[in-house]
Amino acid sequence: MPLYETVFIARQDVSTQQVETLTEQMSAFITDGEGTVAKVENWGLRNLAYKVKKNRKGHYVLMNIDAPAAAVKEMERNLLLNEDILRHMTIRVEELEEDDSVMLQSKSSRGSNRRDSEDSDDAPAAKAADTEETTPEETSEKGEE
Amino acid sequence: MSDARRPFFRRRKTCPFSGEGAPKIDYKDVKLLQRFVSERGKIMPSRITAVSSKKQRELAKAIKRARNIALLPFIVS
Repeated sequence: MPLYETVFIARQDVSTQQVETLTEQMSAFITDGEGTVAKVENWGLRNLAYKVKKNRKGHYVLMNIDAPAAAVKEMERNLLLNEDILRHMTIRVEELEEDDSVMLQSKSSRGSNRRDSEDSDDAPAAKAADTEETTPEETSEKGEE
Repeated sequence: MSDARRPFFRRRKTCPFSGEGAPKIDYKDVKLLQRFVSERGKIMPSRITAVSSKKQRELAKAIKRARNIALLPFIVS
């Protein structure tokens, strides 16, 4: 069976408990269609990058699914019908992630594993700033002499 | 370094997504993707970021996916 990743965003005034029942409802569509839900991740209430249906925040839920297309289609149809859901996205993936996704990792360890790559990115910018600073000083020194 | 003195010489940068220990491009990794969009929220051209064309296509797709689920902005105004 094909593998899918679904992310959906629930409205901000929906309670955490309601989000859980929503997730269960959606998983039910998958299991009814003889599929399995490999993993469910709740990213919690996050700020949206832009307003969606006049909402500034939303509850994000990620589901990893192994199910036939018909079951996924049925779940997507219900996601669209549900008014508590602002937006959803299902994509097909080659393999499902077994561990926590980046979203949960960064929450727990504040992205410590990505520090070294950030340093390399900052370095050229810092060098450019240095050269800009040094040139006016040199000229002013010459003027004094 | 003598190379730095030569005019119009630029050190050849390598793609940040190839080689060992390179990060995986994923639409959920907002922190990573944010480094490849401009302040206005546009995707940075690969000639600036030195991402290989194959990875740039992958990256563009990831950024667009992230925009769709409101993880990244379409425009910052």
